[in-house]
Amino acid sequence: MGYAFTRAYRLFIAALCLAVLMPVAVYADSPYEGYIYNNLEDDVHSINGYLYLDSWDGFGTEAGPLNAPEDIFVAANDHLYIADSGNNRILLLDDEFELIRIFGDAEGPGKLNTPKGVFVSEDGTVYVADTNNKRIAVFNADGSFAREIPEPKSTLLGDNFVYSPSKLIVDKRGYLFVVSNGTTNGLLQISQNGEFESFFGGNRVSFNWTRLLLRWFASEEQRAQIVAERPLEISNLYQDSEGFIYTTTLGGEYNQVKRLSPVGVDTLNHGNVWYGDYYVSGPFSLPAFVDVTVDRNGLITIIDQNTNKAFQYNKLGYLLFIFGGTGEQNGLMKTVSAIDQTSDGTMYIVDNSRGRIDRFRTTPFGDLVHQASALYVEGRYEEAEELWREVLRYNSNYDMAYHAIGKAMYKAERYEEAMQYFKLARSRADYSQAFKEYRKELMREHFEWILVGIVVLFLLIRYLLPPFIRKLRAWFGASGAKAQLPAGNQAAVKEGEAG
Amino acid sequence: MNTLRMMGKVLRHPNEFYYDLQAPGAARWSHAILLIFLAFAARMLSILVTGYAFETWEPYEISFLFEFVWIVVPWMSWSISNWAVSTILDGEGKFKEIVVGSAYALVPYIVLIVPVTLLTNVLSLDEASTYRLFMTIIQLWVVLLFLIKVRVLHDFEIGKVIWITILTLVGMFIMWFVCFILYGLIDEFVNFIINLFKEINFRT
Repeated sequence: MGYAFTRAYRLFIAALCLAVLMPVAVYADSPYEGYIYNNLEDDVHSINGYLYLDSWDGFGTEAGPLNAPEDIFVAANDHLYIADSGNNRILLLDDEFELIRIFGDAEGPGKLNTPKGVFVSEDGTVYVADTNNKRIAVFNADGSFAREIPEPKSTLLGDNFVYSPSKLIVDKRGYLFVVSNGTTNGLLQISQNGEFESFFGGNRVSFNWTRLLLRWFASEEQRAQIVAERPLEISNLYQDSEGFIYTTTLGGEYNQVKRLSPVGVDTLNHGNVWYGDYYVSGPFSLPAFVDVTVDRNGLITIIDQNTNKAFQYNKLGYLLFIFGGTGEQNGLMKTVSAIDQTSDGTMYIVDNSRGRIDRFRTTPFGDLVHQASALYVEGRYEEAEELWREVLRYNSNYDMAYHAIGKAMYKAERYEEAMQYFKLARSRADYSQAFKEYRKELMREHFEWILVGIVVLFLLIRYLLPPFIRKLRAWFGASGAKAQLPAGNQAAVKEGEAG
Repeated sequence: MNTLRMMGKVLRHPNEFYYDLQAPGAARWSHAILLIFLAFAARMLSILVTGYAFETWEPYEISFLFEFVWIVVPWMSWSISNWAVSTILDGEGKFKEIVVGSAYALVPYIVLIVPVTLLTNVLSLDEASTYRLFMTIIQLWVVLLFLIKVRVLHDFEIGKVIWITILTLVGMFIMWFVCFILYGLIDEFVNFIINLFKEINFRT
């Protein structure tokens, strides 16, 4: 028992302590619990896919504190453009929050006034929705003011139109798509010269029985008093790497997230699709989705200002993760206003009230699900199968995994297993499809026996059933004869009763 | 066993069956009760043997009591309403005949629902139309028996049968409505008494 041994022993203990403590440090308690909705729309426990990483509020830095930030844009090189609305400026930071440049704080034509939205084109030109100046301000990549795109003039806009640009994107042709607060007709499509082209991707007024009845029965004066039903307002928009425009809508129960085709038609939702929390776990109010971001694999992440939660869906509309919430702790937010992500999948959520940017990082479970989901979306079910099994090992509440494994089994022509998995996923249509194939297989394998069975059944019915029925009849006839009356006596009996 | 023979007869010769039902002693309460229990059993069995793809409920959503109520209440309220309406409008049927006759009108359902539901175990959802066709046949058959019952028992012609049927349905809904209101009032009243008792208990 020398000194060396004690030393080695101590080292071992220290290593052990480290090994035990390290994961604890990494997986610190999250202020929000992971959950997901199963196929019965019940909220069930899940493992968090995103955890709070850190925040940046600008205090003590060269940039100075943020004041009511409204928007964030992540460029292709992962540089962040933050619309620091309360300070009337746009900040350009790198992905570790080191200040690179400030736009629009210098006096002159480029001075911004409450900019609520920012977009950067591929060549680095910065487009700012300069909300209170009622214009789009354009800056060169080096920070110098280039030009402004003033308020569009057109008879199509109507007399009551108030221009209040808050969010914008610029598509590959150079057209600007602008969200103007209070406009219910959709996005404003504006050319680089500031000419109004058309409204784009507006929501529609849905049919409503109450309204129809009111219109029928109301008098002329009453009708004038009824507030005209307007389409819902678009709150934000996002352009993915393929050039598709996604919009979020304020209010409404369904389809608040849309993917617009080049002609402005929603291609994301088929029928009424519910987004956000169901009433079982959330407050009894409709979600208010204020921003959306889409990654290369088509993962759609939206944020809801009512619950301050982010909801992530994959390309096919399966809910993957829910994270965030309302509160003071790190990881919770007070008023979310924007979300975007860097190329490594880190989520940047702008908290307007607290004036800070919160970062969320995927967990190993999150990465696993993302990987599996990406393969699944591409239809590579067999490759995804092992990953989904791993997902289930972590979390057996993850219904999508059952469905995905079922698909893999189906593709591998293991129909009986596919049926089991589809049953677990409560996917009746797919179950039925697998069953159809399974039935075909059974028929093929046991054809002789089925044929023999049919022949035997036929013979039984043909030769054994009639004598059996005759026997039965004879027996019943004997036991129930006295209750039977011939139909002819009916009238007589009735008369007898009446008299 | 007599019931079984009569069940066969209502399927094959419904007109004759309902004529015969009017003979003294032919309609029996015991038959009606037996048939309703058979209908209930057939219903529960059909839920049990439904193929997975065709299930519309989760197992925990199925309630014995609820299913039973959904057979007994429409049957009883139909009988009462039909008897009341037809008595006012010169129908000849007696209450007992109507109750027993209505129960016998469920025979196609009792006999066929389980075999038809068994089909869902060999059909896929693409072939659901076959299943729906059979279900529709069963339903139409039951409705037809109800109409024949009204016609024969009360000795009405066709136009009046339809009129009486509509009135009967209206009567049923009025009955349910009144029952709901009564239930609400009684519930309030009972709660009131209980609260009063609690309050007095609390004060003393």
